[in-house]
Amino acid sequence: MGKITIGCFSSLVGSMSLDFAIKFSDAAVKKGHEVDLWLSGNGTMLGKKGQSKFRDYSYLMDTVMELINSGKFKITNCEACAKARGIGREDTVEGFGVASMDWYLASAFSTDRILHIGGE
Amino acid sequence: MRLAVFVSEYREPEMLERLKAEKLGIVLVQNGVYHAALKKDGNVSPVLSKDVEYYALSEDLQSRGFSDSDVVDSKIKVINYDGLVDLIFNDYEKTIWL
Amino acid sequence: MAIKKIAFIVEKLPYKSETSRLALTHAIASQTVEIHLEDGDNVEPVLAFVGDGVLNCLKNQKALDIYGVSSLEAHIKNALLLDLRVLVCKEDLEGFGLTEDSIVMDAEEIGGEVTTQVVPYEEIQQDLESADHLMFF
Repeated sequence: MGKITIGCFSSLVGSMSLDFAIKFSDAAVKKGHEVDLWLSGNGTMLGKKGQSKFRDYSYLMDTVMELINSGKFKITNCEACAKARGIGREDTVEGFGVASMDWYLASAFSTDRILHIGGE
Repeated sequence: MRLAVFVSEYREPEMLERLKAEKLGIVLVQNGVYHAALKKDGNVSPVLSKDVEYYALSEDLQSRGFSDSDVVDSKIKVINYDGLVDLIFNDYEKTIWL
Repeated sequence: MAIKKIAFIVEKLPYKSETSRLALTHAIASQTVEIHLEDGDNVEPVLAFVGDGVLNCLKNQKALDIYGVSSLEAHIKNALLLDLRVLVCKEDLEGFGLTEDSIVMDAEEIGGEVTTQVVPYEEIQQDLESADHLMFF
């Protein structure tokens, strides 16, 4: 089994790239792989507490929580990107990490594959 | 290198012409699946003109009103997320998302 | 002990989206990645501007005055100050009628020693081949 690091910089609402990243992560974890998911830029809104599940807007938190509970999935928000958007640690869902950008590069160091999904 | 290039938009990415690899795979995802499923003015997309491996993500085809059998060229392999995970771990070593 | 090379390839234009800025800030973050790694391990970044992305490198950007955010020019100078390898595609630069005089080539005024390298795309392709991982912005 391997490890993949995914970086996703796109918004939860207004883009389907986070949807892709989570579905890919779910498939990878179910196959026994490890996944590190780094959220930067607008991607950091995925970790915001208090999201509502409306049908016209993407909602991924249920799958994200299942992934976190699998023990094979680490998800980390870029601290500066989140803070700039008013999302502090206290506003971030439990189970999400918060770190500086070097976390992504450290994960890249030890991973087998990188899938970097830049912003739109 | 063995390079998988994700094409996520329905336009021809400029970089696609430039990227070279011993083994190159083009993975059509999100709006990129329109390249796999549509002809425009009777012509297949120029994205399909390379002598490389082609894949299209089944879930993204279906979400846009196509079925897996709608792909315009038999060289395009339709895969799901499970297949995509295997592809990335087994067949390619680097990825680029366009 | 290992060094992993990561190629940051920048094709997006600056300012309308955050993408090219995040390429620079993530590449620069390689300077502190050692704290997460074993002794002797490190990440070696290379920054390559291609296509429209070469326009991130233009001189005299007034983004701080106009938008109140640091310019891509300033970030590129920081990258040079930190000895990152910065490549600009020669064909794409020439395609816009630009020369080395039009872009950030050094960071001398802040003490930088390395300079931007304007290189044929073929050389950038070689960096993509030799990199362990690619991040396309």
